[in-house]
Amino acid sequence: MRQLFRVAFDLLLEAARRKWFLGLFGAITLVLLVLGFSLQLDVVDGAIAGSKLFGSLLFDDIVSAHQVMGGLYMATAYVSFYGGAFFLAIACSDFAPELLAPGRIEHLLSLPVSRWQLLFGTYLGVVALAALGVLYGAGGLTVLLGVKTGVWNVKLLIGSGVGWVGFCALYAVMLTSNFFVRSAALSGALGVVTLILGVIASFRESIAVAMTAGFGRELFSWAMLPIPRLGTLATVSARLAASEPIEGELVGRLLAGCFIFSAALLSVAAYRFERKDF
Amino acid sequence: MTAALSVSQLVKTWKGLFGPAQHALRGLTLSVPKGAAFGLIGPNGAGKTTFIKVLLGVVRPTSGDVTVLGGDPQDTAVRARIGYLPERMHLPAALRGRDFLRSVSTLKSLSPSDTELDRLLERVGLRTGSQRVGTFSKGMRQRLGLAAAMLGQPELLILDEPTDGIDPVGRVEVRALLLEEKKRGATILLNSHLLSETERICDRIGVLEHGQLRLEGTLDDVRRAASRWVVRFEGEVTAEDAGFTRAEAGWSYEGDVEGLNQALDTARVRGLRVIAVTPQTRDLEAVLADSLISRETN
Repeated sequence: MRQLFRVAFDLLLEAARRKWFLGLFGAITLVLLVLGFSLQLDVVDGAIAGSKLFGSLLFDDIVSAHQVMGGLYMATAYVSFYGGAFFLAIACSDFAPELLAPGRIEHLLSLPVSRWQLLFGTYLGVVALAALGVLYGAGGLTVLLGVKTGVWNVKLLIGSGVGWVGFCALYAVMLTSNFFVRSAALSGALGVVTLILGVIASFRESIAVAMTAGFGRELFSWAMLPIPRLGTLATVSARLAASEPIEGELVGRLLAGCFIFSAALLSVAAYRFERKDF
Repeated sequence: MTAALSVSQLVKTWKGLFGPAQHALRGLTLSVPKGAAFGLIGPNGAGKTTFIKVLLGVVRPTSGDVTVLGGDPQDTAVRARIGYLPERMHLPAALRGRDFLRSVSTLKSLSPSDTELDRLLERVGLRTGSQRVGTFSKGMRQRLGLAAAMLGQPELLILDEPTDGIDPVGRVEVRALLLEEKKRGATILLNSHLLSETERICDRIGVLEHGQLRLEGTLDDVRRAASRWVVRFEGEVTAEDAGFTRAEAGWSYEGDVEGLNQALDTARVRGLRVIAVTPQTRDLEAVLADSLISRETN
């Protein structure tokens, strides 16, 4: 296990020195700082009596702090889901091709490390990187608004955590593709395509109904079946963040779907990796 | 003597999806004794790198047996005792030199101190452990790769073009390092295009061509194979009739020892007196060239 964690740790070390991730964490920090210094909230008995952003009034009337924070949290959850998934799909696309680069993979395989440790270490490193981004962004906003309003709510963290599971499924596709064709461009493109397919899969029933009955509709339904419903997951993540009611069973099914999808793809990657010559 | 590595009837065929199959190794059989410095030479595409990768478990053979340090190279416990420097080392650019060595140490289940890592970096001629690998020159990368290979004092060092990109002074330093490793008792398998380097480090040589071992033995054996001898006779004589050809320092004979003795007997019967017989050793470049030429003429 020490080797697996070392592979993941090295990936994080590498990421920490890349401009992409410095930019991401810098941008999150900037948003938090701007909000921290320019947002003024006067909270009286759980209601926002006065609010200003860059000196301009946000609300004319007194509004409930929960209501305002719910809206903000929902928007943040959507942005972090789609924006985060898109950004990470591009920014993380070359980790696997780098691992499998000629001259590096031979060296790694000559060390007393199992191939599965290299595979899962890389996966672990990338999903940990995404988790750190979520924790920093959502956690920072939670702390910031908690301090300003006195209303502490960890639902944004929970909602973003659910969204993070969606990225884990995306990265499973990206990582696996490299054991067939080593390409950062293809890996990134597949991540984005899976995100789009995941949104389409969320509406598969309504889209299928709109299609002419027959082979095409059946093919569409079957093709969409294994794809995780990322659009629904994004909605669930946003609603959870906004403390809106959600069916526990739906969350469970979505998370299980992502888990099974990722596990199946990683098994294919492991099978391919174990048999591949470099 | 115990073998550090041995392969028997090793075959590796790369199957193309559309093109014809490529035969990289064709029934290679070889044994390298422990503590030896073995030089692998041959033209491009001879199968040297494939052979090295098979020894490391990076490539699985199509058929044949491979034993490295008494075990299967797929076994991580065996690989823990091997140090390897690939032909074109690709290093993670964002890591610092010391970070990279630390990472390799962990993957090898070693826990060296920072001082030990710095000492190793210094030993390979790098005094910039805190510099990012991305800013390293080719020679510096090669040195770092060599340091990684030497981590934990491995029993077997497999080095693919270790001095590639290193300046002449650096090459001398690397050579000295490898000789130190050899003195320590490590077995060295060296694949280098610099034949003079192979000659200076290795005591055994193998000539690989088209996936087959054309010639193998001690350095002296290989240099003398298909030998040339220079013979000096007393006085001004003619020895063409006995099978000799005129050479700068006397008469020369090309062939094996048996043939030489027959030629000498013939010369003596004709009244010639032998003063000196000197075996003419050749450098590895000539050995390799002869080996390839004889292959083409066959």
